[in-house]
Amino acid sequence: MHHHNFYYGQQHILARYCGLDDEFPPRIPGYLQHGWNVGCGWNPVHEFFDGAWRYVWSDAPRRRGHSLGRRNYAVTGAPMLYLMDLEPDLGKVPDAERRGTLWFLFHGWDAPGMGAKIHGDHARLISEIKETETEPVTISLYYTEYERAEVRRSYEEAGFEVICFGKRGWNYEGTDRQFLYKQLKAFRRVKRVASNRLATAIFYGVAAGCEPAVYGDPMELEGDNPLFGGQTRIARLWGDMLGKQIDLPTARAITDDELGRAWVMPPAEMRMLFDWNQRD
Amino acid sequence: MTDSVPTPAVQIVRGEIQPWTDYTGYRSPAGGEPLLALLDDLLPASAPTALIVGPHSYPVVELVAARSAAVTVLVRSVSDAQELRAAVPAGHVTVITGALDGLVDVPPFDVVIAADGLDRVLGADSPALDWPARWAELRRLATGDALVVVAVENEFALTGLYDRRPADERHGDDEWRPLHDDAARPTSPRQVAEALGERVTRLYATFDAAGTSHTLLDAAAAGSTRPGRPGARFAVTGLAASAAHTPLLAPVADGADAAARAGLLAAVAPGWLAVLGSGGAIHTAYASLDSGGVLLADLDEAEWTLSVRDSALEPAGRLPDTESVETLLFRLAAAEDVPGFRALAGRLGAWAGLADGVVLLDDLYPEGDGFVRGLTRPAGEDEAAALLAAAYHRLRDRLLRAHRRHPWPPWMTSTDDLVTTWLSMSGVADDPGAVKRGREIADGLAEPAADEPDLRTVLADAAADRQRATELAGKVFGLERTMRYRDQSLRTREQQIRTMRDELRKLRNSPAMRLHEVSRKVAKVRDPRAFARALKRRILKS
Repeated sequence: MHHHNFYYGQQHILARYCGLDDEFPPRIPGYLQHGWNVGCGWNPVHEFFDGAWRYVWSDAPRRRGHSLGRRNYAVTGAPMLYLMDLEPDLGKVPDAERRGTLWFLFHGWDAPGMGAKIHGDHARLISEIKETETEPVTISLYYTEYERAEVRRSYEEAGFEVICFGKRGWNYEGTDRQFLYKQLKAFRRVKRVASNRLATAIFYGVAAGCEPAVYGDPMELEGDNPLFGGQTRIARLWGDMLGKQIDLPTARAITDDELGRAWVMPPAEMRMLFDWNQRD
Repeated sequence: MTDSVPTPAVQIVRGEIQPWTDYTGYRSPAGGEPLLALLDDLLPASAPTALIVGPHSYPVVELVAARSAAVTVLVRSVSDAQELRAAVPAGHVTVITGALDGLVDVPPFDVVIAADGLDRVLGADSPALDWPARWAELRRLATGDALVVVAVENEFALTGLYDRRPADERHGDDEWRPLHDDAARPTSPRQVAEALGERVTRLYATFDAAGTSHTLLDAAAAGSTRPGRPGARFAVTGLAASAAHTPLLAPVADGADAAARAGLLAAVAPGWLAVLGSGGAIHTAYASLDSGGVLLADLDEAEWTLSVRDSALEPAGRLPDTESVETLLFRLAAAEDVPGFRALAGRLGAWAGLADGVVLLDDLYPEGDGFVRGLTRPAGEDEAAALLAAAYHRLRDRLLRAHRRHPWPPWMTSTDDLVTTWLSMSGVADDPGAVKRGREIADGLAEPAADEPDLRTVLADAAADRQRATELAGKVFGLERTMRYRDQSLRTREQQIRTMRDELRKLRNSPAMRLHEVSRKVAKVRDPRAFARALKRRILKS
């Protein structure tokens, strides 16, 4: 129903989980949350068509959406959790062999003609990463920054490995359906996951067994909509997830909440929820 | 504890919501003249510190600010906080936005006001605290001997029980968690008292119009009153204000009467307001007057003492705690006791106080041979007959609108005949002018029509319409039958006429009639010579 559902191949993963074609997945009758979100599951100015259902990862976006007068929510749990269920061994190494930090730079966003870049002091951030991390660091840049040579080069020249997991796509085109597969594989080989903002990748990393860290200049995003409270709100609500050393059991409990682990459902239930059963 | 938001003077704690407002939604912030009057009586002259939790009207905040050295106001909406800050810029007032559970590391307050209740104090990101947990959060912020005012919404309110919307259409945007599906929420005066503990010194049954206080009635007084008495009238008027914006299954007044008979009016009020700790002297009831201002009432044994706040104007004085004249008349009408009705109407007509102003029979109470006017006294000067006619027009309207039982036929109730009849029972002779003027006065007193009629009224109206249609069909049948009889009658008469004509024709052709004809013509000959000449000329011509 909406091309955002294809982002990161999430719709494909859910179709596979349901035993359906994941190359051309069936339509979802509404909107699927595509990233961790401090609001109602989508950006503050997202459009919705009447009667659409909103499939969110956890209960908090449902509650916030309810406060905005929105109904027809269904909580599904994050597709990444379903992928972990589908791929229990993908990239897995024994815990003792996990090494290094996968470090995610807060990224801009992409939309033809209306994307937004990040602005901040990369040199200072690199110094802080070097001061903090004791094992090899792999910097993950989203392609919006990966393709900005000046940004990518600054991290490469600092001696970090710099990788990119691909594109989430736009209007059903260019989606890297292996995006989350590659990310999961990467998480399962490192010990730590870190970022300069609390973001989806941190929760994914914790779910994949990494120790989290959130520190450094959070940087500015062009045209960032402060409608939902911005970084200070994140500090008030998820303060336990900020810092260079975070209590792991607490982080896992919060991650389970935010990714909606308790809402993960069996395939048969999901097929009905998405109206994916054949009716004729 | 806090950090700054773009508007410098507003502080922020965990759990704020935006975009959001509790000030312009379906329910106003706690406010209204009765609540202000109560707080004015209750608050100390100057408290060291005060906390206001939840949305409260600006006048409430200003009143508390005027009686406290330092005031903290906590609202969950960022924009509400910013607007409140702009409206109340006083330096000793601190405005904080956030959730109740987010206000931590602050010293306890000497006065705590939560007159909006504890249902609009959490954000969407707050934990799912049930009512006792929210109360514990509030109590945490009060000193041991603090004056605390806290409201509780009643799940068992008549306005909720009579709400005709199904459960899934009642929740608002603020019920991201089903607030009212809370087994631990107190839902009776006794449960409220138990939940709040031994420090409760007064409990009011509250009646509000979409958040704005309309009537506060001491819960014990509400529990002891009976239908038609002044206490019940406080409650019924308040319930009507509360129900004005709710689509109903049935008029709340019906249920209120039943609840009053059972001594349960306090249990079915839309909410309660509890006072913990001691403050200034307060009254049994605070009620909004249609004319403006607040009526203060105190019940002492079998008598109410009334006054109007900040006014030396009427009404002031005392009132017997008895059933109203309207209640008595309705009861007599339902029993079809016309002699009893006539006797009471006669007493009304003879009452010397009739000419003192507009009479509301539901707010007029018998005392001895006379009557005492009650809580409301609309202005108006007219002759006694017109005033009594107005009272009867209003009685008729309320009798019919509530579909009450009565002995009078529909052609009387649908015209002025009923009022004219009642006037004659009161000793007022046929006076069309008074009846007409009475209608005008009654129209001026009429309660505003509900946004939507209640379902029982709609069904009763539909049933009445069906009955009317049946009766009209019967009337048409009767008229057709009458016409058939008329046709039969006409045919009979026509036959009679035809017969008479035949007989007449036969009579004309009889020998006697011909002889009579000739004789008549011969009798007309007055000049025989001229007649002979004329006859001769005719014969010659032929």
